[in-house]
Amino acid sequence: MSAFWSSWVIVLIVLNLGISLLLFLWAPRAKVPTQADGTTGHVWAHGALREGMHRLPRWWIAISAASFAAAFGYLALYPGFGNSSGRLGWTAHGELARDTAANDRLLDSLAQRISQQPIETLARDPQVIAMGKVLFADNCAGCHGSNARGNHLLGAPSLADDDWLYGGDAKTILTSILDGRQGAMPPWIEVLGAAGVQNVAAYVRSLSGSKPHDATSALRVSAGKAQFAPCAACHGPDGKGNPALGAPDLTDSIWIYGGSAAAVQESIRNGRNGKMPAWRDRLGERDARVLAAYVYSFSHGNAQPYD
Amino acid sequence: MAYRHFEFIEKHVWTLGIATAIMVSLGGLAEITPLYMEANKVQPADGLKPYSPLRLAGRDIYVREGCYLCHSQMIRALRFETQRYGPYSTASESVYDRPFQWGSKRTGPDLARVGGKYSDEWQRVHLLNPRDVVPASNMPAYPWLAKATVNGQDIQERMRVLRTLGHPYSEAEISLAPKEVAGKTELDALIAYLQGLGIDNVPRQAGAAASTAGERKP
Repeated sequence: MSAFWSSWVIVLIVLNLGISLLLFLWAPRAKVPTQADGTTGHVWAHGALREGMHRLPRWWIAISAASFAAAFGYLALYPGFGNSSGRLGWTAHGELARDTAANDRLLDSLAQRISQQPIETLARDPQVIAMGKVLFADNCAGCHGSNARGNHLLGAPSLADDDWLYGGDAKTILTSILDGRQGAMPPWIEVLGAAGVQNVAAYVRSLSGSKPHDATSALRVSAGKAQFAPCAACHGPDGKGNPALGAPDLTDSIWIYGGSAAAVQESIRNGRNGKMPAWRDRLGERDARVLAAYVYSFSHGNAQPYD
Repeated sequence: MAYRHFEFIEKHVWTLGIATAIMVSLGGLAEITPLYMEANKVQPADGLKPYSPLRLAGRDIYVREGCYLCHSQMIRALRFETQRYGPYSTASESVYDRPFQWGSKRTGPDLARVGGKYSDEWQRVHLLNPRDVVPASNMPAYPWLAKATVNGQDIQERMRVLRTLGHPYSEAEISLAPKEVAGKTELDALIAYLQGLGIDNVPRQAGAAASTAGERKP
């Protein structure tokens, strides 16, 4: 604030408090001329109402005096009187820093465990699990759901089962959280054609035990098997997937985008580009380790992702 | 002053009203006027640039749809806010926001640093029907955003107006604007806006106090 506006504020405060204080000190001593009947002589309603004379009540004087004391005390201690920063040197940012430091001290022993112990051990730590629950609800539930069962619309995988795109060991889970993942299933409509998409989809669905319901679909499955070769590059010749690429296993009944014929065809036709954002900058190493432990615990029987 | 002066004020209602108004306005004059008159001293945060044409279009859609009625963009300097949303907001981050979108109510979460928290696809699904990703959400769906396209000429006009208010847009940026927004839907624009929130201006070191440049004292 420039010197001019600082003095502007100071003048207004002096004026405001000065006038109020003057009235407060002077009013009880003011000599009010009284009439013979003890009233001020002010009348309303043709004399039916007259203004009597009474001293100010004690409680009113006490509260007003306390208000003045609070106002002067506040202006002396805290910022407010122009550019004065107050005797205490208080700032909102300073208070935040103190508050954060005090909270960090409370979490000190927990933070030490989090950084030193392996994630597998942390996954059995009730304090870590309690912390993970809060962090999960705020950061992960948006896509993976508050019950961690995933979301077919987004292609957010379920974290509650023990089926993993990139691997379910603690270190891989931590990497997925810190650096994110970018799925890259290319569109195959140009290569396979409309019929090819249907054939391969039928074959892929048969891998997880979906039985062809008539002769046409049986033909599709066998035709699709012949056209599966390009898919094998990522999903493997037997469709078992490849965690190094994040290519899902096609032989189980767990589906990232849903296992209906329409959903599988859509995945093949237009490809999929599921994205897990990187959380390193937003969460930091400590909270990422807590979340890795929490997620790891789902598939190791230690915690449920929902109450 | 003697008692008769006060008796005069007490007996003349307009005098009493004017004297009361003067006393009441002293507080407002002290608290509001200096901030109002010195708002132009707030400098943009390091690395903060005016909105790109697409994000500018998205911002105007954000305002048009009234997102600010339920979402704030103001992380206060309180621990439980910085823990959840990230470093507190500063005035210097909002210099290119006209009007600012700080908001005053949080039915939904604060969005000051929501950029990058979710994928573009999440934002698309969520805006079209929030229940698809957050079953308990009470946010309305905005399906019409996917159908309307952004008008490039209109964006140029807006950029020119903002330039007269001091936003440093170059002539080249303005002439390229229609190309950048060509074929984009309002949904694309809004997602671009949301994905940029807080991205370019988060203090470099996590948790470190923000630059004090341009900060205002109360």
